[in-house]
Amino acid sequence: MSGLDDVKKLLAEAKAALSEVKSPKELEAVHLRFLGRKGEVTSILRGLKDLPDELKKAVGAAANNARQELEELAGTIGEKFKTLKIDPTFDPTLPGISQRLGAIHIINKVMAQIVQSFQRMGFAIATGPDIETDYNNFEGLNFPPDHPARDMQDTFYVEGNLLLRTHTSPVQIRVMEKTKPPVKFIAPGKTFRNEAISARSNYVFHQVEGFLVDKGVSLADLKACLVAFCKDFFGEDIKLRFRPSYFPFTEPSAEVDITCFLCKGEGCQLCKYAGWLEILGCGMIDPNVLRNVNYDPEIYSGYAFGMGVERIAMLKYGIRDIRLLYENDIRFVRQFI
Amino acid sequence: MQLPYSWIKELVDIDWSPEELADRLTLSGAETEVEYLTEIPFDNIVIGEVLECGPVPESDHLSKCLVTDGTEKIPVVCGAPNVAKGQKIVLAKVGAELAGGFKIKKAKLRGVESHGMICSERELGISEDHSGIMVLDEKAPVGKPFFKTMGLDDAILKLDLTPNRADLMSAFGVARDVSCLSGKPMVRPEFEIDENSEKASDYVKVGIADPDACPRYAARIIKNITVKESPWWLQRRLMLSGIRPISNIVDIANLVMLETGHPLHAFDYDTFKRKEILVRRAKEGEKFTTLDGKEHTLNPDVLLITDGAAAVGVGGIMGGLDSEVTDGTRNILLEAAFFDSRTTRRGRQKLGITSEAQARFEKGADPNMVEYAINRAAALMAQLGEGELVSGIVDCYPKRIEPKKVTLRPDKVNVLLGTKLSKERMIEILRAIEFGVEDKGNLEVTVPTFTSDITREADLAEEIIRLEGYEAVPYIDENKGPLFAPYPEDEAFKDNIRKVLTGQGYDEVYSGGLADPKLLSSISDVENPIQVINPIAEDLKVMETTMLYTLFKSAGHNISHRNIDLQLFVVGKVYLPGDPPVENYQIGLLVTGGTSDSWLGKGRELGYFDLKGAIEALTCYCRLPELEYRPKTAKILVESTSHEILMGGQKIGVIGEVNSNIARLFDVKQKLFVGLLDFEELLAHRKGEAIYRPLPKFPAAPRDLAVTVNEGVKVGEIIAAIRKNGGHLLEIVTLFDLFRGKQIGEGKKSLAFSMIYRSPERSLEAEEVQAVHNRIADNLKKEFGAEIREG
Repeated sequence: MSGLDDVKKLLAEAKAALSEVKSPKELEAVHLRFLGRKGEVTSILRGLKDLPDELKKAVGAAANNARQELEELAGTIGEKFKTLKIDPTFDPTLPGISQRLGAIHIINKVMAQIVQSFQRMGFAIATGPDIETDYNNFEGLNFPPDHPARDMQDTFYVEGNLLLRTHTSPVQIRVMEKTKPPVKFIAPGKTFRNEAISARSNYVFHQVEGFLVDKGVSLADLKACLVAFCKDFFGEDIKLRFRPSYFPFTEPSAEVDITCFLCKGEGCQLCKYAGWLEILGCGMIDPNVLRNVNYDPEIYSGYAFGMGVERIAMLKYGIRDIRLLYENDIRFVRQFI
Repeated sequence: MQLPYSWIKELVDIDWSPEELADRLTLSGAETEVEYLTEIPFDNIVIGEVLECGPVPESDHLSKCLVTDGTEKIPVVCGAPNVAKGQKIVLAKVGAELAGGFKIKKAKLRGVESHGMICSERELGISEDHSGIMVLDEKAPVGKPFFKTMGLDDAILKLDLTPNRADLMSAFGVARDVSCLSGKPMVRPEFEIDENSEKASDYVKVGIADPDACPRYAARIIKNITVKESPWWLQRRLMLSGIRPISNIVDIANLVMLETGHPLHAFDYDTFKRKEILVRRAKEGEKFTTLDGKEHTLNPDVLLITDGAAAVGVGGIMGGLDSEVTDGTRNILLEAAFFDSRTTRRGRQKLGITSEAQARFEKGADPNMVEYAINRAAALMAQLGEGELVSGIVDCYPKRIEPKKVTLRPDKVNVLLGTKLSKERMIEILRAIEFGVEDKGNLEVTVPTFTSDITREADLAEEIIRLEGYEAVPYIDENKGPLFAPYPEDEAFKDNIRKVLTGQGYDEVYSGGLADPKLLSSISDVENPIQVINPIAEDLKVMETTMLYTLFKSAGHNISHRNIDLQLFVVGKVYLPGDPPVENYQIGLLVTGGTSDSWLGKGRELGYFDLKGAIEALTCYCRLPELEYRPKTAKILVESTSHEILMGGQKIGVIGEVNSNIARLFDVKQKLFVGLLDFEELLAHRKGEAIYRPLPKFPAAPRDLAVTVNEGVKVGEIIAAIRKNGGHLLEIVTLFDLFRGKQIGEGKKSLAFSMIYRSPERSLEAEEVQAVHNRIADNLKKEFGAEIREG
C-alpha cells in the first residue's frame, strides 16, 4: 500500500541519490533502481490498480510527476557526463606557459602616455640635443645674462661654452627658427640640473614641452588644451586651477594645479592637505622669444607649457622617492609592465 | 618672505581669515601658506612672576623658585642662569606641552618639588635661543595666557615669491595687491618728522663715483640716541616676520625695510674718520670685514660705501664691522640708497653673502621709496632712541629714475587673454595697484618704480589677469593649429624596439647620461668623453659614451640585491666629443643568470644565443636586412665570443661575453653577455613594407640530412653551402639537432638538418628532389669533410 507520503519520500530519496552520482555507471545504477522496469517509482505506478479509488487519482498524478522530474534530472546529469570526459592527468590549475614579458621603464612609459595624449590633439613631435648652447637654453628664451631668473635653474656646463639643457624649452627655439608659423609641437626629453640627489630631486629628469604659435592664439586656447590633456590623463572628473607664476619665456605665466586624484580635493597626505597638486607650468610665449625667432608678435601669438615626467609618474603611481626611478632595480621596473 | 597677518589687516581692513587671504594671494601670483610662530599648543602657558628665587642645595646651577600665575603660588626648579626674583616670565604649568613634545608634570628635582617650568624661547618653539629664560616686560599682566596676550598667536603668511615679484617683498607691497583684490583701500601709517635746527648737510657730504651701480644715496643724521631693547610691539612684529630683534636702531631699520621693501642701514656716525660718504668700486685686493665678522678680499665687482677713505659697508649687501651700531652708539648716520640689481648680484656672487637687503636690491627695489623709508625710520629712531633728528636729507640722486610709460590696447589684451574684459575694469585694476592710467582710447599706463619687471603690454596683461583671476579666462571647446601631426619614424622605431624586446622578456633600464670617468674609460673606446665642468660628484663627471655603462651598473645593482637572472635592454643616448658634440641613440642588451625553473623543466643558462635571438626578433619585427656576425676582438669581451655585427657589410654592433675582470669592476662575479646596436644605422637600413607573395600552389617535399663534422666547422658556413647547392628548389633549411658525444667521436659534432623542397610552378618528382639532396650531401662531404649519417 502506497500513499502520497510514500511518493514524496521516494522522490526526495531519488533526488539525493542522483546528486551523489559521480560517473555514468553510477547514474545507470540509480536510474535502474528508481526508474527501471522493476524500479521503485515504476512499482508504485504498477500498484495503482490495487489502491482505493479515492487515492488512485492523486497518487497516480504524484508518481507520474515524480517520474518525469527524475527522468529530466537524470537526463541533465547524463548530458554532463557526455561533454566532460574526465582525464585525471589533466590539471587545469597548473600555471600557464608563456614568455615572461619585460617592462618598459616607467619614465619612458609615462612620457609616451603624455605624448600620445597630445598627439591626439594634433601636436607633432620635435626633439633637440641634450647638450645645448647658452643661447637656446637661456638667452633666446628671454633669460638675460646676470638675470636672477637664471638662479632658478642650476646648470651643468661642459666644454666649448655648452651646457646640459635645464629644460626642454630650447626645442621651442630650434623648431621656430626653422619653421614658419603655425607650429604645434610637443618636445619630450631628458634635462639636467646641478642639484644634489635626494628623495625629491635628481640631477637628470624629463620634461614634456608643448607649444603652439598661430594667429590669434589666446590664453583661453591654452586652457582648453590643458583641460583636455588633464581629463584624458588623470580622469574626466579632474578640475584644474590656474595660478599666476613666472617664467622668463612666457607672459602671462601660470602654474596649473589639478584636484588631488587621491582625495578628490578633500585633502590628504599626497596633496599635503591642500586638495590640489601642482602639475605643470605654462603661459603665453613672451613677445621677446617670438622676436628672437623672427616671428612678429603683432601678428602671431602662442602658448607653451612644460611638465615634469617624473613628478607626474610619481603622483600617478604613488612613488615617494625619485631615486627609485634611476636605480634600474628590476623589482621596481617590473611593477609597471 | 613672511609677514604676520595682523600687519596686513592693519594696512587693509579685510574681513578674510588668514587662510582665505593666503588663498587669494596664491591665486594672484604669490604662493602663500599660513603658519604659526610655534607649533606647541598655547594651553597652560601663562605669564608668571618670580616671587622668590634661591639656590638648590648641592647644585651649582639650579634655582629653587616660587612663581605665581596670579592665583596660585607654584614651586619651580629652574636651571637658567638669568632667572631672578621679580622677573615677569613665561610659565608652563602642569599639562603644558613644550617644543619637542616635552610634557610638564609634577616632579621632584634634587629632592625639591617642581610643578612647572620657566621657559626659554627654544622651549616655547619660537626661536633656537636657549641661553636663558625669556624675560618679559615688567608690565606684562601676570596670569594671562602668554601667546595671546603677547600677540604671538598671530597667523604668519609665508610667501614663496617668483623672481619677478620684488614688489611683494614688503608689507606695503602685499597690502597693495590685497587692496586691489578686496576693493578696500590701503592705509599707510602716518608719522611726523620733528627735526632740530641743525643741518644734516653740515654733518655729512655724499658722493657717488659710480652712479650706474648706485643711482641714489640718501643719508640722515640722528643725534644723541640711546641704544636699547626695542618695545615689545616692534620686537613682536620682527619675530613674526622671521627677523631676530637686536636693538631699537637695528630693529627700526629692519622694520621699515619689511614695511616699505626698501633696505636701510644705520652706521655709528662717530666711527667715521671723515664726515662724508663716498660710494665707489673696491680696488683689486682691497680687504674689508663685514659685520658678520668675516674678512673679504675684494675686487672691482664689489661696490663699497666708504667714509671717503676707509670702507664702512658693502653697498646693498652688508655693513662693516667697524661702523656697526653698538650699545654705546650715540649718533647715527642712516643710509637709504638704491643699488643696481646687476651690481648687487655680482657682489653677492663674489662675496658669497646673502642678506635681506641684498635679496631686495638684487630682485629690484624702488629708487623712489627712499624719502619715505628714510623719514619713517629716522622719525622712529629719534622717538624710540630718545634722540634728535637733524634737519634735512642729504640726497645724492644724480639722474632721477622715472616711471616707465607703456601703452595698453584693451582689444589686443583681450585677444591675448581670450577674455572680454571692459576697458573700465582694466583701468580699475591698474589704478588699484597704484599704476597711473590715462584713457586716450588706448590706455597710457605709468608703471611705478616699485616694479622693474613691467615694460610691455604683455606684462600689463599679466597684471590684469592675475588680479582678475585666471578663472576669468573662459573655457572654449576648440582645438587650434595644424590639422595633422605626423609621427616621426625614429620615434616609431623606438616604440617598436621596446615592443619587441619587452615581448622577448627583456626589462628596460634607464640611462642617466652621466658616468664615472674611471669606470667608463675601462669599457669604452672613446678617448676623451665630454666632461662636466661643474659636476655634483666624482662618479658623475663625464657623459656616457656607451650603453654598456648603464647595463653594467644596472646588472651590478640588481645582482647585489640578489636578482641574479637578468635580461635587460636600454635605448639611450651616447654623447661623443666633437664640435658640436654628437648625440646618438644606442640599443644595449644584457643577459646573465638563467631562465626560471618551471613545472615543465629546469631553467637553462642565459647566454650568447639569447642575445642573438633577441636581435633576430628585432631585425624581423623592424624589417631589417639579415645580419652577419664576424669574429672581432674587443678589450671587454672574451675573445672566442667577441663578434661584430654587420648589416649589408657595415658594422652596426657588437656581441659577446664580458671578460670577468671587467664584470668585477661593476661588482659582478657571474657571466655577463652583452650586445650593442647602433640605433641610427638600424633606422637607416629598414626595408619597406612587406609585399604580398602568392601562397604555394604545389606540395612541399621534406627531406632530412644528418652529418658529422669536425668541431671547427661552423654551422653558418654549412647552411650557406646547403642553400647554395639547394638552389631555387630548396625553400627552407633548419638545423633541428646538434649532438656531441662518444658515439660520434672526440672533436666531432653531429648536425641534423631538415629541408623543404618546393617549386612554385609544379609538383616535384621524387628523383628530382633526391638529386638536389644528393648534390647537397656530396658538397658537404667534399667541402667540409662531412660524414653523412644514415637515418
